[in-house]
Amino acid sequence: MQLIPSLDLLNGRVVRLTHGDFETAKVYGEPEAVLDALEVPRGARLHIVDLEASRTGAPVETEIVRRLARRDLVVQVGGGIRSVGDARRWIDCGAERIVVGTATAVDPELFAKLVETFGAHRIVPAVDVRDGVIRIAGWQRDATASMQDVFARLESHGIGEALVTDISKDGVMRGPSFALYRQLRSLTRVRIIASGGVSTTGDVVSLARLGNVSACVIGRALLERKLDLAEAAARVATPNAIPERVIPCLDVRDGRVVKGIAFTNIRDAGDPVECARRYEEEGADELVILDISATDRRENTAVETVRRVAASIFIPLTVGGGVRDVETFRAMLRAGADRVAINTAAIRRPELIADCAAEFGVQAVVLSCDAKRVGERWLATMRSGKELTALDAIDWCRRAENLGAGEILLTSVDRDGTNSGFDVDLLRAATSVLKIGVIASGGAGKLEDFRDAIESGGARAVLAASLFHDRVLTVGEVKRYLEEEGIPVRT
Amino acid sequence: MNVTLIDSPYSNAANIARALRHVGADLDVTRDADAIASAAKIVLPGVGSFGAAMQWLVETRINDAIRKSVANGAWLLGICVGHQLLFEGSEEMTTTCGLGLLRGEVRRFDGPLPVPQIGWNRVASRGELFDGIAPETAFYFVNSYAVRGAHAEVASAEYNGSFTAAAQQERVFGVQFHPEKSSAAGLRVLRNFVACN
Repeated sequence: MQLIPSLDLLNGRVVRLTHGDFETAKVYGEPEAVLDALEVPRGARLHIVDLEASRTGAPVETEIVRRLARRDLVVQVGGGIRSVGDARRWIDCGAERIVVGTATAVDPELFAKLVETFGAHRIVPAVDVRDGVIRIAGWQRDATASMQDVFARLESHGIGEALVTDISKDGVMRGPSFALYRQLRSLTRVRIIASGGVSTTGDVVSLARLGNVSACVIGRALLERKLDLAEAAARVATPNAIPERVIPCLDVRDGRVVKGIAFTNIRDAGDPVECARRYEEEGADELVILDISATDRRENTAVETVRRVAASIFIPLTVGGGVRDVETFRAMLRAGADRVAINTAAIRRPELIADCAAEFGVQAVVLSCDAKRVGERWLATMRSGKELTALDAIDWCRRAENLGAGEILLTSVDRDGTNSGFDVDLLRAATSVLKIGVIASGGAGKLEDFRDAIESGGARAVLAASLFHDRVLTVGEVKRYLEEEGIPVRT
Repeated sequence: MNVTLIDSPYSNAANIARALRHVGADLDVTRDADAIASAAKIVLPGVGSFGAAMQWLVETRINDAIRKSVANGAWLLGICVGHQLLFEGSEEMTTTCGLGLLRGEVRRFDGPLPVPQIGWNRVASRGELFDGIAPETAFYFVNSYAVRGAHAEVASAEYNGSFTAAAQQERVFGVQFHPEKSSAAGLRVLRNFVACN
């Protein structure tokens, strides 16, 4: 999958609009300066939108396109192409391909003429979709053509690639419309240039995994440095190289597996060794044990459980709950844990993260963050969600990363035990600012939830407790489903 | 089958001992250089720092013991940092040489993906150590350093570019991953090593 930096031009400068509204234009500067700052490599594809032209219907920024085309960039340009003459002006400026919006949806005759004149390989049809409806003309009114009709016509013209934007997702950075691109996969052979909502490296990887997305246009996320072009290119080169993990969690109290809703109403649910063995057999990639009583009870019942479980499995084991200091951390490792999650103690004394990372290595340190939604953000909580702190959960995760945490176990306190799905917004908020991996926790209820946490949330692992424990789903079922959905798992 | 496991303090020897016993090894866990020098099959575990682990081998003279037994035809398996110690040296510790049993140098994983690598990664493998293991099987890795394109490479994986996941030269084997944490696939690798004769 190719990555195509996108520049929207208005009055000779690079700008971004939100929801296509010209009043919201944010100015980034001269195109050449912007490209240099983004370190766009030679030979790259570049997507140019002439915003004024898209509104008025005639090419405006021809001189800029001429300059950019001379810079060894493969330029595709759109905006205002409503006649063969318009298209020719762009081609004469050095544009490799022209992006055709309005005509694609509502003027089949003109579209046919463009294909005939320049060849299908130089035409990029652009389809703007909002809520499953194709929109046109600078996003001001609805078109009448259905997606089926439009794509059938594109195929008949020999079009291989079309730019598809979900405009409800564009420029707001809440993630691309994976559902729309998936729908198109069964609707058409035309390959998709995805556009709109791409804001993290994880988004780009998820798009690459869909299979029918041949390229992706990245605008605001690049301009605002939410995404590094080189890193994204490296991840996209092998989107399936590293399997995503499915992690069953054992909530343990006094040596027994227990379960509860939103950290309360706890009841007994079995022997941890038996559960652990079954999970490894089913294909669990890792196991998490959380001793949910330890912090309150101030005693280390977990160590004996860890010792018993560690001695019965051959997959990595992460242990949390009741880790107060470097010594209790060490005790968990000695008992057989590979990694130790710290939560309340780290909030009380953040340097504990750095101390443990220095002593045992960053790979051993997991920050467990129980986040609770408060208004428009999330706050970290202590003592298994019982005590709200003033810490912004996302800021706290970032700080933990800087202090030396190797991974974040991020639990939505609101969703935990509800089976209503992971909090994808929370996951995106975290994964978009963290380099280290995030384990999604809290709320798993059905197969799609696991997919969404990885695909849209950017999580590198998905965790569930009661769902697996009650055999509503097995680890194997989740992994098979993820694989069917194009997400790599260890088999 | 008798296996001598070097009980390095810079290792997770207990976990590896459990896995080796699980696949049927009759285990001698030892720090005795003489016992290692006369062993027929040796496992060298290691986690953490290359320099500290190598320093310990030098101080205990186990470095010479390993070289001697290998020269006498012993089988040797290095795991994680134990694998790295088989090579000539590491960028991590410029003043410390490795055992030099395999050609190549251990280097830091530089690139866009975060270091250390923590997690499962698919391995393209061949050779007797991977007998019965499907292509692209995932193993569990935890490492900040690796050898890239070792002369004796028998398995490779991708992380910030291709690196050596396993190496073999005659009877000397090394695996960068943790077989004792790699579930059935990891146990199969250990079983294959234990079965070598």
